[in-house]
Amino acid sequence: MELLDRYLEAVRKHLPWQRQDDIIAELRANLEAQLEEKEAALGRPLTKAEAEAWLKELGSPMQMAAPYQPQHYLIGPNIFPTYRYVLKLACSWAAIIYAIVTVVQLFATQNPSETALFDAVLHLPWVLITAAAWVTMIFAAVEFAMMRGYVKIPALCASSPHWTPGSLPPLGHDAASGKKPRSYAQAIAEAVFGILFLGWLTLIPQHPYVLMGPGAYWLKASPFQLAPVWAPLFWSIVAITLVQIGWNIAALLSGRWQRPQPMKQVVFKVLGLIPAAIILTAPGKIVVLLRHPATDQARYGLQLDAINHYFHWSAEVICVIIILQLGWSAVQLTLNSYRKRAAAI
Amino acid sequence: MTIAENLFENLRLELRRGCLTLAVLAQLRQERYGYTLRKALADDGLVIDESTLYPLLRRLETQGLLASEWREEEKRNKRFYRLTPDGEQMFAQLLAEWHAINASVTASVAATIQSTINPSL
Repeated sequence: MELLDRYLEAVRKHLPWQRQDDIIAELRANLEAQLEEKEAALGRPLTKAEAEAWLKELGSPMQMAAPYQPQHYLIGPNIFPTYRYVLKLACSWAAIIYAIVTVVQLFATQNPSETALFDAVLHLPWVLITAAAWVTMIFAAVEFAMMRGYVKIPALCASSPHWTPGSLPPLGHDAASGKKPRSYAQAIAEAVFGILFLGWLTLIPQHPYVLMGPGAYWLKASPFQLAPVWAPLFWSIVAITLVQIGWNIAALLSGRWQRPQPMKQVVFKVLGLIPAAIILTAPGKIVVLLRHPATDQARYGLQLDAINHYFHWSAEVICVIIILQLGWSAVQLTLNSYRKRAAAI
Repeated sequence: MTIAENLFENLRLELRRGCLTLAVLAQLRQERYGYTLRKALADDGLVIDESTLYPLLRRLETQGLLASEWREEEKRNKRFYRLTPDGEQMFAQLLAEWHAINASVTASVAATIQSTINPSL
């Protein structure tokens, strides 16, 4: 039957080449036996339409051949959970490193422009796609090697025998109290936004309008100027931000991001006292100066005193709030420690 | 095909997959070639597509559960399959497993029906 021959030839094209002849011979024997039985039941050969209907019922040549192909996965179910985890990590780190490099590049140029920043943001998807492509290629190669028995990497498999219940991360304080625990996305966002905040912060000395908006132009035109105490104040804030970024990145790298970090809150509250202390210890409590004291003292002297007094008073209030918060944190830490000891007994 | 129909079809195929292997192993305690095997299964109420059955036979042979040989019958060369000793052992194990699963599912379904009829139980 010519139609059956054409069908089998079409099937052959989609079969593994080493077994084509064998599979086609078996298929031919089975299908011809089926055809003979059909024709015997009818008492005549099948018409062309009947033969076409029969072959259509068997399925397209590709459909018939597909199950003979060995099952291949680009990344199989055994290592897929690890792949997904590594992909998330790689994309997150690509974004962080790209953000750092972009900020450094922007400041390495003399005049960082909004266009350069916009271009850098537009380029981010390509960075993420490249990171994802590399991870996928590596895992596809690992899958290929593992399937053929070239390598064995049980640590990559979801059913790894190296897993122990003791290696599970502890429940966070929030989880214990029924609140939603800190997510990985939140930990990544904190690191990324910390870096972006630092970039924004370092723009302020050259471009004060990013902090004060139109107020920067008003300050420039006003008889007042900032006292030298603002320099150590500014750099103390930069240093605290750097410490915070370093802490967040270290927590991400070491896997501590999902654990409760009560000491982190205490440390940063203490560090938060430094800028307020700088204002409080400013020589003569002077935070703002007159540009031309000889000529403007009579006119703006009282206003200047009021501004300096306001800054000093604000710094005192901030210090009191931070100290109260520190006290509250200390009480909480002590209570938690007591509860843990009591539970252990 | 609606989403519900598609879901049913997927679940039905999943449910059938293991049973087909068991049925094929059961039939091949007696030597058969592809087409007569398909007919025997269909006579028992288990209709299997050609594109499912014939590759399944190859897979089971690769796994060492079936042995095959080409032989002429009714002036046509045919590939006959039968269980190997390993296949017979595997069939016995799978059959025991199937009986256990069947008994559990039957008991669960019966309990559910019973509690639906008489919620106080």
